[in-house]
Amino acid sequence: MNTPQIAVFARLAKENTVPVRALEGQRTMISRTMHSLAYDSVHDEIVVNSPLAQAILMFRGDANGEEPPLRVIQGPRTQIQGTDYDGNDKMAFDDVHGEIIIPVAGNKVLVFSRDANGDVEPIRVLSGPDTQIRGSVRGHALVGVDPINNLLIVGSTGGQGGGRDEGEGGRGGGRGRGALVIFDRTANGNAKPKAVIQGPHTALGGVATIQTYPPKGWIIAGSAGGSIGAWSIHDSGDAPPRWRIPVQQITGVAPSGVALDPVHKELIIASGGRNVLLTFYWPEIFD
Amino acid sequence: MRVGKSKRGRGILAVAVTGIGILFLCAVERQESKITSESALGSPRLVSIEELPDLGDICVSQPTTRSSSMIAALQDNNLFSAFQEKRVYASSQEGGQAGDVTRLPVRTIRDTYPIYSSVAVDPLRDEVVLQDTNLFGIKVFNRLENTPADAEAAKPKRVIQGPKTLNEYNNGLYIDPTTGNIHSVAMDTADSMIVFPGGANGDIAPIRKLNTPHRNFATAANEEKGEIYITIQYPPKVMVYRKDANGNDKPIRVLEGEHTKLYDTHGIVLDVKKNLMFVGTWGNASDYKVAGTGKFYPPSINVYPLDASGDTPPLRVIQGSRTQLDWAGGMSLDPDNGNLYVANDVGNSILVFRETDQGNVAPSRVIKGNKTGLSHPAGISVDLKNKEVWVSNMGNSSATCYSLTANGNAAPSRTIRSAPLGRTSVKFGKPQAVAYDSKREQYLVPN
Repeated sequence: MNTPQIAVFARLAKENTVPVRALEGQRTMISRTMHSLAYDSVHDEIVVNSPLAQAILMFRGDANGEEPPLRVIQGPRTQIQGTDYDGNDKMAFDDVHGEIIIPVAGNKVLVFSRDANGDVEPIRVLSGPDTQIRGSVRGHALVGVDPINNLLIVGSTGGQGGGRDEGEGGRGGGRGRGALVIFDRTANGNAKPKAVIQGPHTALGGVATIQTYPPKGWIIAGSAGGSIGAWSIHDSGDAPPRWRIPVQQITGVAPSGVALDPVHKELIIASGGRNVLLTFYWPEIFD
Repeated sequence: MRVGKSKRGRGILAVAVTGIGILFLCAVERQESKITSESALGSPRLVSIEELPDLGDICVSQPTTRSSSMIAALQDNNLFSAFQEKRVYASSQEGGQAGDVTRLPVRTIRDTYPIYSSVAVDPLRDEVVLQDTNLFGIKVFNRLENTPADAEAAKPKRVIQGPKTLNEYNNGLYIDPTTGNIHSVAMDTADSMIVFPGGANGDIAPIRKLNTPHRNFATAANEEKGEIYITIQYPPKVMVYRKDANGNDKPIRVLEGEHTKLYDTHGIVLDVKKNLMFVGTWGNASDYKVAGTGKFYPPSINVYPLDASGDTPPLRVIQGSRTQLDWAGGMSLDPDNGNLYVANDVGNSILVFRETDQGNVAPSRVIKGNKTGLSHPAGISVDLKNKEVWVSNMGNSSATCYSLTANGNAAPSRTIRSAPLGRTSVKFGKPQAVAYDSKREQYLVPN
């Protein structure tokens, strides 16, 4: 990655379509390694990590050019801590309850109010041996949130690096060690999970994002072999994905990040390995 | 629940195709009509929060509908791809097998043109070498190439590209002035510096591959001492290796530590005669070992002794609002005249400082304006032999060349262009994540 940016494309953009706008430059405070970002549909804001500066940035929804963030969460009270490999690059956003959820070094998950600004303490810290949260050797766990069914999903990895539990689509070991650890959304302290999806049949791994589709109770996450899988929020144990798109098998491109567009019943895939975005029509999980 | 996989007959009669075609065209129309009406109502909003009923095994055993898959096929302009699908059902937890959905993507966003991150001049071959960080290639042009306005793109003399090259997200570039060997800093997914022989062409393996820390960026060499320098953005440091280092060879020395003021390290250039090292920083700072230490500093160019190592503070720092520094990328030096040339990416300019500058100082010259052809200049190379400076533009797939004395809104003396005139680059650089803006129906894509 040579120069960071947050490029914005029309949904129907295709090959060589120029972005409609881009956030970039010194005043934006963005940096490389932005492996998560979210759109706050309630407040029309963009939420993104500034991974090298242990910060969370919030921009206007239509921010453009060298526009500074509206708010910055950063400082000693935040407890935000990255790793040498990942920085602090993971995040999920709960736009129903207005909360930013970020996993940090030391197998912790911090929760901040979206209103927070400056050097503020997290409103919850999920951490401890009973949580079963395991980051990768040089990175963090992954996080997703289901604000309707009140669940926090933590991708507990244990892989070698990059925050992933690298399965066949990844570069390292860790296959089969990955887990989706499901908590009450407001879990705090050394809380035990409600359920754990883990085992050789789960084939978890390979993607740095966890998404949810609450109306149908789906957890969308990476699956081995460069696939995207859909698990039920009611799954536990050694559960394979209910649905799977074998992205790499179909396109030759390994996925790294995912987003959902429920209105058009589409799954959007970012591939950090090959500079490409793919959109799949996936009505099976939305209908 | 089961995974159903009913086989379709391969021979489809033309009559059946026609009939089905009419049916799914109707379906497309209905689908588009539905989407349009939904769009007119605005983006989805939360209207109530209700506890999800205990669905137990919630998977739905409806098969993939023919109409939906054919919509996808239509959007992909591949009618018959829809007929190649298998009928699938969601798995259950007990079923032990996922329901695979194998339809092709309906849309793809990518840039098919080069995105030039760095440039260097090979004085032996009178060539300009460009790092294409989009297609993972190295493109070599005649130094006197000047792409006519009516040409779609310049044709390179050689292209080093392909899986054998191991070149990915290539940025930093150094040409050995004696051998013409090309040193390429392969970032991110490659974490290495790879070396190709001068005159290399095609999909060839590098002659050396030095494994480096993650987030490597730029490189420079001290030919007198046989050393090569590589900047690491974060955790920030400057690694110095023997020039012929290979594999997992260790660095000779490393510049790092809180006193170095290295914060998100980028470009580097050396003045061997004056024993100076210039390093650009972007100001994103934190100690990853300590929580809550994140800070943002103004960007800077830090000047160190050439052989600095450990936690050595800079001798001088160029920093402040008058500098105009804005995500400065590559740097190059004219030691004869003491001029430091800086590719000022987001500033869309070339800044020229005096080597001796310090503090909040304005550049002595600025190349900037609508005649310059600059568009996100990220790489820069001074050609002392021909008294020129070359710039690689990430924003428009080009390299532009100027006189060493150019100033202001100067038109380039020559341009190497690898995309149609006026084209703007997508500027992808490892888009690892994506979010969906449901209000504007837009994709947010970070590099």
